[in-house]
Amino acid sequence: MSDIKDMSNFKLKDLIFRNDADPGDFITYHEQKCNGCGACAIICPVNLWSMSQAKGGKARLTPKYKEWCMECAGCYAMCEADAIDFRYPNGGSGIIIKHG
Amino acid sequence: MQKFDVCIVGAGPGGSMAAKVAAKAGLNTVFLERSRVVGEKNSSGCGLGQHWWRDFPEIMEKVERLPSFREITHCFFKVTDEDDRLITSLGTGWTKLDDDRIVYKGKGRGMTGCSIYRCDLDPLLANMAVEAGAELRTSTLVTDVIKEGGRVTGVVTDKGEKIQADIVIAADGAHSTVAIASGIRKRFAKKDITMVPQFDFSADPDKLDDVVGAAEQVWFGTFCAAYQVNFHDGFHLGAGQWLDIWSGKKPVELLTPILKIPAFQAMCRATDAKIREFQVHLLPWMPHPSYAGKTYGDGVLLIGDAGGFPCPLEAEGVWHACMTGKIAAEVAGQAISAGNPSRDFLKEYERRWEDSAIGEEYHFGKQFVGLWRATAFDPVFMKTMGRFIGEMQSLAFPGPVFDWSTSHMQAINDHLGHFLSLLPQMSAVVPHLKPLGRGISDANRDTIAELIVGSIKKKVPIIPTFITRPLIRKMLGKAGRQACKL
Repeated sequence: MSDIKDMSNFKLKDLIFRNDADPGDFITYHEQKCNGCGACAIICPVNLWSMSQAKGGKARLTPKYKEWCMECAGCYAMCEADAIDFRYPNGGSGIIIKHG
Repeated sequence: MQKFDVCIVGAGPGGSMAAKVAAKAGLNTVFLERSRVVGEKNSSGCGLGQHWWRDFPEIMEKVERLPSFREITHCFFKVTDEDDRLITSLGTGWTKLDDDRIVYKGKGRGMTGCSIYRCDLDPLLANMAVEAGAELRTSTLVTDVIKEGGRVTGVVTDKGEKIQADIVIAADGAHSTVAIASGIRKRFAKKDITMVPQFDFSADPDKLDDVVGAAEQVWFGTFCAAYQVNFHDGFHLGAGQWLDIWSGKKPVELLTPILKIPAFQAMCRATDAKIREFQVHLLPWMPHPSYAGKTYGDGVLLIGDAGGFPCPLEAEGVWHACMTGKIAAEVAGQAISAGNPSRDFLKEYERRWEDSAIGEEYHFGKQFVGLWRATAFDPVFMKTMGRFIGEMQSLAFPGPVFDWSTSHMQAINDHLGHFLSLLPQMSAVVPHLKPLGRGISDANRDTIAELIVGSIKKKVPIIPTFITRPLIRKMLGKAGRQACKL
């Protein structure tokens, strides 16, 4: 029974799979357009975006985004300031859904 | 530069269906998929509704043999309160009358659907398209469209390759590069799209058969709602929320409250269930695809999620993708035969799907979406709703039979009192439910009218039925003139 009680003790990174082909640059962030609303930071399931004091309250995209992005395009869908361009990673790269 | 009659972007169910129909019609067809193998990028549901047995029975015969297949005949709603206690279970019904509405090879299928992993379903459909003569290219991402004089005449891939086609069909999902690049729309409005995080659980198939059987489950509570789609050896636990009313939680936090529900944990224990994968995707969910704009452009047609087609009541999307894929391929064929792939000709696509079973899906889309937004997607309302459903069940059979707290009549009065006290708070749903009355068929209105007319005749025989009948029928929305024909 104990393992069920502990069901919330998962680590997301253990539950996400991807191949190691080069995904290319697939998120383009136009920092000057960012209005600091923070919607991208909220919606991103794997915390690629954070709100940066150093950048005057604007969003910051982690340089490691290619290793973590789940390709949901949630940040693009949320950004009403048009500061985020999203295309999918290169064909044959990126996330693998094993049981989707 | 290679030139095709039809280029389909995306080899999900809709793209593959479009490719199959186009190739069968003799069109030179290519379909492009960004993943290495078809079905590797998809995390939708995935439930195939009963209408698959009506519209695609031969495919269903093949789907039944896929490894992740689970036949589904029921859905059970597990309603919980703010302390994660089970309030009640609500279930769908199954009768032979219902099942016999769709008969295939002598067997009733009207209440029979299935769950299937997309990593099983998508390759099956893509293979059918390839067998029909369509060319499939995997590991191929479309990054842009080619435009000539404002008309889309092809696509550009991530490798810089240009592929020309008379018609481009966008089957590239919620974030449709083709729809955006061709200028039909930008991002969906936040009120028209949901974010859906999902856990995949592994489970013991035999135990899942015994404990859950041929059913889906929905967990209902103050956390809002989460679906549990059951496959052969596992299940998806997923939940969605519209982006315009996103709560400020992280997506995974839509799911973590369900992991704490004792009844959910018990089901996991009984089926040896363990979290196996975390997935997330955007799901368009709107009253009608027109909320996102047109579903066609100059030289381009949008199908499935790219066109905003998922069902406004339960967000099923694979059937909608396949149906629109089929219609799009047929219209593409006509446009090519006529030598006219213009926007003007392609508006035929929108007329065709509006007039089909797909179009019917959105007749009450505004009410369906409004109903959800006012109820299951509002955590404050869900507290009242849970209690209301509980009292409704306490009043309905077999509730009163098992309430021995006091005399049975007193117990009925207790529950009736609770029910009535909650009723005013449920008024938020009335504006969404009331217009649904317009959807009641003439045949059913006739039957209801005759029941009322008969009842009046019995109680007040002096009033002749030629007076009551037209009045009652008019009251129920039937024209008085028609009524006189009875």
